[in-house]
Amino acid sequence: MQSNFLTIIYSSFIFICVGCRPMSFQDETDLLTYLKNEENGYLQSKQINGVQYQLMYKPTDLLVSQELNGKKANQATIDSLRSKYDRYRYYNLSMSKNNKELLTNVARDRQQFGSMVNTLSFGMEQYIHLFTEKRDTIALLDYVYPRMYGMSKSTSMLLVYPKEELANSEQINFSIADLGFGTGEVSFNQSTELIIDQPSIHFQ
Amino acid sequence: MNKFILPVVLITLLFSVFSFIYSNSSNSSQLVYIDVNKLMAGYERTAIERAKFEKKAITLQANVDSLIANWQNELKTYEKERATMSKKEITLKQELLSNKQNQMNNYQQAIQKQLQDEDQKMTQTVINDINDFVKSYGKEKGYRVILGATGNGSIMYAENGADLTEEVLEQLNASLHAK
Repeated sequence: MQSNFLTIIYSSFIFICVGCRPMSFQDETDLLTYLKNEENGYLQSKQINGVQYQLMYKPTDLLVSQELNGKKANQATIDSLRSKYDRYRYYNLSMSKNNKELLTNVARDRQQFGSMVNTLSFGMEQYIHLFTEKRDTIALLDYVYPRMYGMSKSTSMLLVYPKEELANSEQINFSIADLGFGTGEVSFNQSTELIIDQPSIHFQ
Repeated sequence: MNKFILPVVLITLLFSVFSFIYSNSSNSSQLVYIDVNKLMAGYERTAIERAKFEKKAITLQANVDSLIANWQNELKTYEKERATMSKKEITLKQELLSNKQNQMNNYQQAIQKQLQDEDQKMTQTVINDINDFVKSYGKEKGYRVILGATGNGSIMYAENGADLTEEVLEQLNASLHAK
């Protein structure tokens, strides 16, 4: 009787452990499909005053896959790329109004357009803040804002944060200040457990 | 005895699952509401943001007032010296004062617009906070619907037990202090 009971307990334990493993995908497309499902917690969206915000965490393997760009690579190369990208944490922030880039919405006013170009290109660290649950600020290390000249449906930028500081907190809070569209301060919360147990790609 | 273990475990598991679902669904059939105006008035961040806004407004208004005061002094000086000025000088001075008045009016309008924008930003920031909190509160407590009563007569009747305003306000302020 005792051995049957212990068997049930051990089986349940193994079942739970197996179920809690980070997800692994065969390719970038599958991983992106998983990430873009808001229920999985990696993508968050909000619409305020006609402005659509989307914040998505980019796992390390997604960046590795994007660098490989479909080319086959040996394990050493993959490990090297993984350790290169694993030093930081990457987020993609996308903002749009009327299904267009933010700049397109201010194109009629030259002064406003110039000011917005300046803000988006050089000043976003004053508008995007990341806090731990103890309200300590995690500095934005860098961000990349590629100009699309109105050819895109949204203004997107890649945000780069230090890995260690993110790992020290259970919850992190993104705060995006109003960029002049009357949205007020927009916040996103995320559990760092999702980052620690981030999904991966099974590179063949 | 061995043959009873598996059924007992299965029954216990089913019972736990059933209790979990029941406890989470006990709120889902209720129709509840929140008085949004009351929430905004009682939320401490509203007062904090309003104080910041008023400080900014005072500074901007002071700039406008000092420009107006300077212009008025120039006008007084012109009126004193007008008798000793030539026609050409009077015309030139009038033109200068008029241009300055126009610039001042434009500046004043720009400041008013800026204050309106700041007021809207401040209000929207507080609304965003409240919306985010109510969404997570509703999800946590298992409510199916939480209506927002904005004082426009959209809810004509509600039982006392349906008013969640005080409970939500208390937890909203607690979450602000926890941040």
